[in-house]
Amino acid sequence: QTLPATSSASSTSVCILVDSRCISSGVELMTCLRQKHAATVHVCSLDNSYFIVSNRMAVERHSQSDLATPQNRKRLADRVKSLQGLFERVCLIVEKDRSKTGEASRPLQRTRYYDSTLAALVRTGIRLLWSDSAEESAGLLADLAHLEQRKGQGIAVPLEVKGQHREQALQLYLSLPSVSYAHALNMSHNFRSIAHVINSSIEAIQKGGCMSRTRAEEIYRFLRYSCDSFFVKAAKTS
Amino acid sequence: METKPFAVVSAVPPYGHVICSEKWRNSSLVQSLKGGGVKILFENELGVADFNLPNKSSILYVSECDIIAGNSYKRKLVRYRNASSSFQELVLVEKTRLSEQYFQAVQTFVVFDLGLSLLPVSGQSEASQFISQIVHGEGRDNPFRRRSSCRLFDPLVLTLIQQVPGVGKVKALALLQNFSSIHQLCNATPTKLEAIVGQVGAQQIHSFFHKHTTAGT
Repeated sequence: QTLPATSSASSTSVCILVDSRCISSGVELMTCLRQKHAATVHVCSLDNSYFIVSNRMAVERHSQSDLATPQNRKRLADRVKSLQGLFERVCLIVEKDRSKTGEASRPLQRTRYYDSTLAALVRTGIRLLWSDSAEESAGLLADLAHLEQRKGQGIAVPLEVKGQHREQALQLYLSLPSVSYAHALNMSHNFRSIAHVINSSIEAIQKGGCMSRTRAEEIYRFLRYSCDSFFVKAAKTS
Repeated sequence: METKPFAVVSAVPPYGHVICSEKWRNSSLVQSLKGGGVKILFENELGVADFNLPNKSSILYVSECDIIAGNSYKRKLVRYRNASSSFQELVLVEKTRLSEQYFQAVQTFVVFDLGLSLLPVSGQSEASQFISQIVHGEGRDNPFRRRSSCRLFDPLVLTLIQQVPGVGKVKALALLQNFSSIHQLCNATPTKLEAIVGQVGAQQIHSFFHKHTTAGT
């Protein structure tokens, strides 16, 4: 019994979506992803700065010091929670803080906040990955994308849509509840028209959007949801 | 093959306690745990795990020596994973100047190959800090826990309809008054839409929903 060669799987290019806000802080990482790992990287406007490596997985990148103070934890918690609504799996790459040139790198002072933040993250099922540099982070992102691809979760449609109408359709899909950019892209490429999505069964939405059953059920219900006339009247007067 | 039946203890320690494998009895880790006010219960039959914590997680400790000495720790990790206890399984890895160079390889094995959670520590004192945080933090509210929010769909429906080109809030509300759902709106005939948004608007809305979006058509 021969197993499919893993080398062929890893030599195929992986697709990664990057939020435009990641660029300023991540030039080195992006270059590395493209050149060293031959990844297809597409920059788009996600609702916050993160990476999408598959149909179901988002990756945030944070410095260690981000996890160490209470102010940052609140912000991190909000972001993680919103990602959990859009993705089945959420990863956090914790990167060592960059030391200024000429300054000796000093180890992070582990605060109690840091430890309890880590404990809480692990408890919630967030996957943590550890990195010492932008280069290592790029490697981890590429590895995650490859792993997801091997599990059949890689983004298989083109990472962009062309033409005004398709762009508008993509924006409409993004305003569906619990739909990530990856789901919206899949829907853009796998359905004939917007009406095709709206009139599809739960199974068809699940398949075409490359999403979980519960997510497809929510979309199906949303599309048939009857707005309350009271809400419409109230919105009119406001 | 292991012939002796494993009498692995899988009890959850009471609040404020840690169940600890006997081999850690004289370690500095346990000393500083005690210093931090954590009560220790020693146990011989803990299986592969080193510690069981009151929040139903267990910890396997991979030391600098384990990593540098080579491959036997990997077997231990596999056994740990395969024990598939009802505990959440964490792996603490000593990341020191000596073991640093192997860290990424260890991480790949633990996280990617075995799917376990890994946390680096610089040594036993950091490990004990982390463990006592878990023990004392038990029962505290988890800021990352997502509560299933019952979102109201109405405002979201309104926002979505405004994604249709040429439809602002006023038209969207007028449409919603006549077609209460997106499904109904999408399947309305241009004639029916015309009465609300005029002929041009009706054509625009109808063709937006029905125009092909897939490439090549």
